[in-house]
Amino acid sequence: MHAQMDITARYDDVVVGGGFYGCMLAAHLSRSCGRRVLLLEAAGELLGRASFANQARVHNGYHYPRSFLTAYRSRVNCERFVREFEACVVDDFEKHYAIGRNFSNVSAAQFELFCRRIGAVLEPASPEVEGLFEPRLVERVYRASEVAFDASKLREAMIDRLQDGQVEVLLGAEAHRVRQAHDGLQVDVHVAAEPSVVATKQVFNCTYSGLNRLLSRSGLRPIPLKHEWTEMALVEVPERLANLGITIMCGPFFSLMPFPPRGMHTLSHVRYTPHHEWLDGNSGRLLDPYALAQSLPRKSHFRPMLQDARRYVPAIGECRHVDSLWEVKTVLPRSEVDDSRPILFKKDYGMPGLFCILGSKIDNVFDMLGFAEATFVESQRRA
Amino acid sequence: MTSADCFASVVAPLENDEDIVRAFVVEVCSTLQEHYTNHELVLVDDGSTDGTVAVVKSLMETHEGLRLIRLSRRFGLEIAISAGLDSVIGDFTVVMLPDTDPPGKIHEMIERARQGAGIVYGIRSNRDGQSLTTKLGTAGFYWYHSRVLKLRLPKDSTHFRTLSRQAVNAITSIRDHGRYLRTLSHYVGYGSQSFTYDPIQRRERPRSKGFIEQVELALDIIISNSVHPLRSVVWIGYGLAFLNFSYTVYVVSMYLLKETVAEGWATTSLQIATTSAFLFLLLAVISQYLGRLVMESKGRPLYYVMEELQSRTVMADEERPNVVTESLDDARRKE
Repeated sequence: MHAQMDITARYDDVVVGGGFYGCMLAAHLSRSCGRRVLLLEAAGELLGRASFANQARVHNGYHYPRSFLTAYRSRVNCERFVREFEACVVDDFEKHYAIGRNFSNVSAAQFELFCRRIGAVLEPASPEVEGLFEPRLVERVYRASEVAFDASKLREAMIDRLQDGQVEVLLGAEAHRVRQAHDGLQVDVHVAAEPSVVATKQVFNCTYSGLNRLLSRSGLRPIPLKHEWTEMALVEVPERLANLGITIMCGPFFSLMPFPPRGMHTLSHVRYTPHHEWLDGNSGRLLDPYALAQSLPRKSHFRPMLQDARRYVPAIGECRHVDSLWEVKTVLPRSEVDDSRPILFKKDYGMPGLFCILGSKIDNVFDMLGFAEATFVESQRRA
Repeated sequence: MTSADCFASVVAPLENDEDIVRAFVVEVCSTLQEHYTNHELVLVDDGSTDGTVAVVKSLMETHEGLRLIRLSRRFGLEIAISAGLDSVIGDFTVVMLPDTDPPGKIHEMIERARQGAGIVYGIRSNRDGQSLTTKLGTAGFYWYHSRVLKLRLPKDSTHFRTLSRQAVNAITSIRDHGRYLRTLSHYVGYGSQSFTYDPIQRRERPRSKGFIEQVELALDIIISNSVHPLRSVVWIGYGLAFLNFSYTVYVVSMYLLKETVAEGWATTSLQIATTSAFLFLLLAVISQYLGRLVMESKGRPLYYVMEELQSRTVMADEERPNVVTESLDDARRKE
């Protein structure tokens, strides 16, 4: 990791935001496109926020019966993710999907058909596992082929990749503002409250929840985004759930997934995981999502999550709440309707060479890289 | 488990309750907040056509633990309550009707249930304002229901009741279309206790059922809970068959023993009248059951949910009054 930088240096690309998407993009631009890349991360470590605090699911498509595109791309990208990050993949558990009987947006028959269409493996659960579920509330239980990733190992892998690609990484460096210069772009960077300026050809804003913060400081119109202040409960599960991942589909239900970095499971619930939500650009004034999140009370919803989950799987009632992962989650308002999770990719946003990228599912990152490369090739051709 | 530890759920069906829902929600939420750390109020909108949903949505921005299940159309009070019971997560669930049941009694009722009774059911202390025919009809219904059918349906019991988690699970596992919470909660057992209370009136002119509607409700409750009417016509059938048989014996013996038999118009028509009267009665009762069988044999879902909403409040942060907590639909509308 580089602690200081040459302010006079000129980069081809500056990637703002050291989450998984930002890191992948920086490494890709440097390794595959031979560009000189600087990666800026405001926090003290890479992959520390939403890339860490999530369900750790390498989506194989199962999760999106209402959005075929998201499901299909997850299915396709999953294989590549597992290949490229084999060391970070955790597959020592059996993933099960169950279909809720009441309130579900998808029936068992529809789910089977959907999985056949995207080519995802789906088989009936073993009688022992099926016995864990309450038949009154669950229509059918399936064993699925889905793995998890270890976010800590993924962080290590990304650091290697960035070093390998000779990306300059600056931690504790907040990109304050992007400006248009006569021969490209300039980024005002605050490193430990010390302002400095970086010149570059292109800037990639990969700050996820902070996307609009950088845009508004740069005098640009914010992108309509929806933020949620979310809680996932970290729990110790009873022995018979230790090697299981459970998701009830598809409505106001819950997921119990292994969380490898902490050796526990996360319990998240569609109804209780989001504590608060707000929309960017709707209140006239833009809220700083991370500052807002810091100020919000952290009153756990573990109890209602547990109360509901144990109705479906009584054994979950024995889970012990250890801690909670709190994080701001940002989605596109359009996702509300069909539950899809597309990646937002905006080119030349407000000024030529400024890209805005809102990542979504971790395994869909390759779709974004393809997009970024295409725009790079195009700009080369133009030059 | 202390009282504060217990998770309390309240289910209330709504149907065109724009005028009273705000007062109801405010009262229930403040009672719940006062006594329970963990609580929820699940409102089930039974296809309201007025502004009920809009009022509830606005309440969701200021009240914690509020949920709304919107049914796709009007399914009726009992089905709406069932949809709520399918969704509640509490250790104890209070079912109440917004216009007559007093939120102030929730805590007392749950406390009674926590002391061991699986079900605590409300008994209204008065039937003020009801007509004489209604009072007489109701008395007759309860008499028949308890004395003849031998089924428990305590007199003057209302929908206002508290159910333990076990009782909720038992009731929700029954998927009959003809479902009456008041009889089902006694059918499932688990020990019950009565709880007498004074109903309130949130409306100046309370909604009441017409006479025919009440008779139909009584018949529905009887038909869906008992085969006694069918049994009784079967017995009458045996009786009449026996009488008819004796009558034929009488006719034949008269024919054989007496030389001149005067053809009796009276007896013949009497016999025909009795038999056909009975046949039509039998048909009527059978068709009631047949109708019920047809409905149940379709195996249709009890209800369809249009959407489920819940409160997302940002609380206790006056520094940031600009936080918007509307759901997306509201936001889109404003744009």
